[in-house]
Amino acid sequence: MTTRPRLKLGSHLLPGLAAVALFVVMAAAFLSAQFPAPQGFGSGSITASIGYAIFDLSGPITSEYFLVAFEIMGVLLVAALVGAVMLAREEGGLGPLSGSGSRDVRADGAIETETESDH
Amino acid sequence: MVGAFEFAPAIAALPFVSFLVALFVGRFMPKKGALAGITATGGSLLLSLWVYLAVLTSGDPHVEIVHTLIGVTDPFSLELGILIDQLSALMLLIVSLISFLVFVFSLGYMNDEGETGLPRYYAGLSLFSFSMLAFVMASNLFMAFMFFELVGLCSYLLIGFWFRADAPPSAAKKAFLVTRFGDYFFLIGVVGVLGTFGTAAFAGDGSFPVLAEQALAGEAAGINTFGFDPQTWFTILGLLVLGGVMGKSAQFPLHTWLPDAMEGPTPVSALIHAATMVAAGVYLVARMYGFYALSPTALAIIAFVGGFTALFAATMGVVKREIKQVLAYSTISQYGYMMLALGVGGYVAGVFHLTTHAMFKALLFLGAGAVIVAMHHNEDMWKMGGLKERLPVTYYTFLAGSLALAGIIPFAGFWSKDEVLFEALLRGMDNPIFLVAYAMGLIGVFFTGLYTFRMVFLTFHGEPRTTIAEDPHHFGWNMKFPMVVLGVLATVVGLINMTPVAELTGAHIEFLHIWFEHGGETLTVEHYGALLEQWAGYGAVDASTALVLGSGAVSLLLALAGAGAAHVLYNVPDPDEHTDKLGSIKTVLFNNYYQDEYQVWLAEGLTANVARGADTFDQGIIDGAVNGVSSVSLFLGDRARRLQTGVVTNYAALLTLGLVVLLVAVGILGGWFV
Amino acid sequence: MVPSQYYLVLSAAVFCIGLFGILTRRNALVFLMSVELMLNAANINLVAFSVQNGNLTGQVFSLFTIATAAAEVAVGIGIILVLYRNFNDVDVTTATTMRW
Repeated sequence: MTTRPRLKLGSHLLPGLAAVALFVVMAAAFLSAQFPAPQGFGSGSITASIGYAIFDLSGPITSEYFLVAFEIMGVLLVAALVGAVMLAREEGGLGPLSGSGSRDVRADGAIETETESDH
Repeated sequence: MVGAFEFAPAIAALPFVSFLVALFVGRFMPKKGALAGITATGGSLLLSLWVYLAVLTSGDPHVEIVHTLIGVTDPFSLELGILIDQLSALMLLIVSLISFLVFVFSLGYMNDEGETGLPRYYAGLSLFSFSMLAFVMASNLFMAFMFFELVGLCSYLLIGFWFRADAPPSAAKKAFLVTRFGDYFFLIGVVGVLGTFGTAAFAGDGSFPVLAEQALAGEAAGINTFGFDPQTWFTILGLLVLGGVMGKSAQFPLHTWLPDAMEGPTPVSALIHAATMVAAGVYLVARMYGFYALSPTALAIIAFVGGFTALFAATMGVVKREIKQVLAYSTISQYGYMMLALGVGGYVAGVFHLTTHAMFKALLFLGAGAVIVAMHHNEDMWKMGGLKERLPVTYYTFLAGSLALAGIIPFAGFWSKDEVLFEALLRGMDNPIFLVAYAMGLIGVFFTGLYTFRMVFLTFHGEPRTTIAEDPHHFGWNMKFPMVVLGVLATVVGLINMTPVAELTGAHIEFLHIWFEHGGETLTVEHYGALLEQWAGYGAVDASTALVLGSGAVSLLLALAGAGAAHVLYNVPDPDEHTDKLGSIKTVLFNNYYQDEYQVWLAEGLTANVARGADTFDQGIIDGAVNGVSSVSLFLGDRARRLQTGVVTNYAALLTLGLVVLLVAVGILGGWFV
Repeated sequence: MVPSQYYLVLSAAVFCIGLFGILTRRNALVFLMSVELMLNAANINLVAFSVQNGNLTGQVFSLFTIATAAAEVAVGIGIILVLYRNFNDVDVTTATTMRW
């Protein structure tokens, strides 16, 4: 790669106008809105309070409790990981060691090895 | 004697059980289901007898709702019920007796002849008995209609029993379609009755005949006559129901199915003609007589059609060659007499003739069946002759039935037919329409005597005209026994109602009249008489003794004249076909007055064209509209699916644009941008 | 304190930059990055309103969103792998065989 990145302009940028339009509308709406002054958290460590809230303990700043959500999140992450492995695996194959020579398989195998090493 | 009524449902249920038995295990049984049928109908006969005695002692009708099909009371509920009164008890007895004897006879006619498909035959016969018994017991018009239809179905199955031949399936279809044509009107009538009165019950204070009478008297509220004058509307309803009656009871012009129905096995013909299918129509009129009595127009139509049919069918019977065809036309004719009787207000006379006719017509059919077996299934009377010496039991019982049919004193038919004609004559004195009907019935008596004895003489007298007739096939007790039973009954059953004798001696021996004078308040013959007098203008007529005897003598003389004519023409050793002397009339008679051709023309020339037009309308406009909607949808869908490019960017762009538009719209409406 | 509007405008800007990426690029990996931007725009909003209302819930929620985004990326990478295996390309516009 000897070429440096270039800004590629052209008609493919046309749909991006929709995003710009969305920004204009939202900015117009937000800037015209009136908010009272933020209440803030006063004294006490926010980070510590978050930790307490996640484990259903009472910290310096009162909050709702999130232990169940936290546990579910853990399950979700494991499920996503397993799902990613399922998707990445070669269909019917046993992983990188099955070694049926094509470049695709090798690329998959590399990813998969990496994912497994994350365990 | 409450016990008897508790067993009443079993009268109908027993044949139904035997239907199931014959259908499913009949092929494993020694007589292929015949024994099950005999047991079941025998049981029904005993139960009917018990019920009859119970009605005799208690006198009150028994009404019971067995099962409610649709229990909504508003606007009406549909129920299966039992109504046992004098009429239905008598009819149950007749039906179960004839069914029983027909089952026994079938042992000889079907089993001994080695027919195949016997379980099917006995299943059909059992179902037939079941339907008719349930129809007789029906407590309301709706239930009656259901079993009326079932009776029609069974006749279809049995007439077409030999379905491998050409003629029986076609005859079965014809019977089904012609009676169905009439039943169509009946169905509308049932719906009309339910819509008008909110009930279809035959008996009781809230029954529809009672409500109709109250409506005419201006006492009942809530009777919806659909904007007609009550009497007009009741006449319309009565005539609609009468459509079904005319189909089933083979009255002109719906009689054409019945002669063709002879293609079925002969015991089936006996059952159809004597006790079940054809009797159902007349029975229905008698059942709802309290309703018909309110409408003089309907009565006049019944009487006139009956009288016309009686004569019309009798003339056709004179020229037929096959023994069963003659009997078929005699059946049509005799049911014409019953309709005549009911039409002129002779309720008892009509039911009396129904009773006696059931006996002697069943006898004649069984006798004809015996002759057919003896002749190796050749039905042509010109191939018979001289069977008198060779089949004495058949001859004498058949003769008894013929004498009864012709109306020769003292056989059953004389008493009943005489009473029918007498009632018609009484009414005819007031009204010329009834007088014409009476005259037709009276002339019919002559033809009845003629064709009956032509049949007897051709079959049994003279010299044998073929080798089969010289040495007929012999048959066992199981065919002789029913004939003997019926022969005795055909001889004596008329004694239950000897009106002329009662008139002459003053003795109270009109047992049938006395029988029908009891029973529920709205079901007795007096009640019907009062209704007739009040609403139909059938006033009481003084019948002098001379008139009674004269009427009887005239009909007897005519019958004897007919029989005498037959004697002169056919009771010779080698009779000729005198029909040729009739010239062109013969052709007309042989072709049944071209009734079949006319109905086929009606079906093909008119109905088929209307149906074709409807088909074009259906295909072109209805289906066209539906197909058009679908093609437009398909076309639009084909265009609209191009929106789905499969490119994620496009979807995202559309989503974004949509969100922008939504935000702008909501923002402007909500005043975000001020 | 900084008024909440500024946070909101920042969030809208981040979101629209992510959206711009999705609308104009065709590489699936760039797509994943753009989606991350949009998710984080939402996180900014959560935190901004947490401060605005003096309630800690928004902060915790943004943590959960980050975790969910990790899961999403794991699955997304898997999908991109399958995409590559089937079409030999990571261009999202080539995978149009299941449209009709």
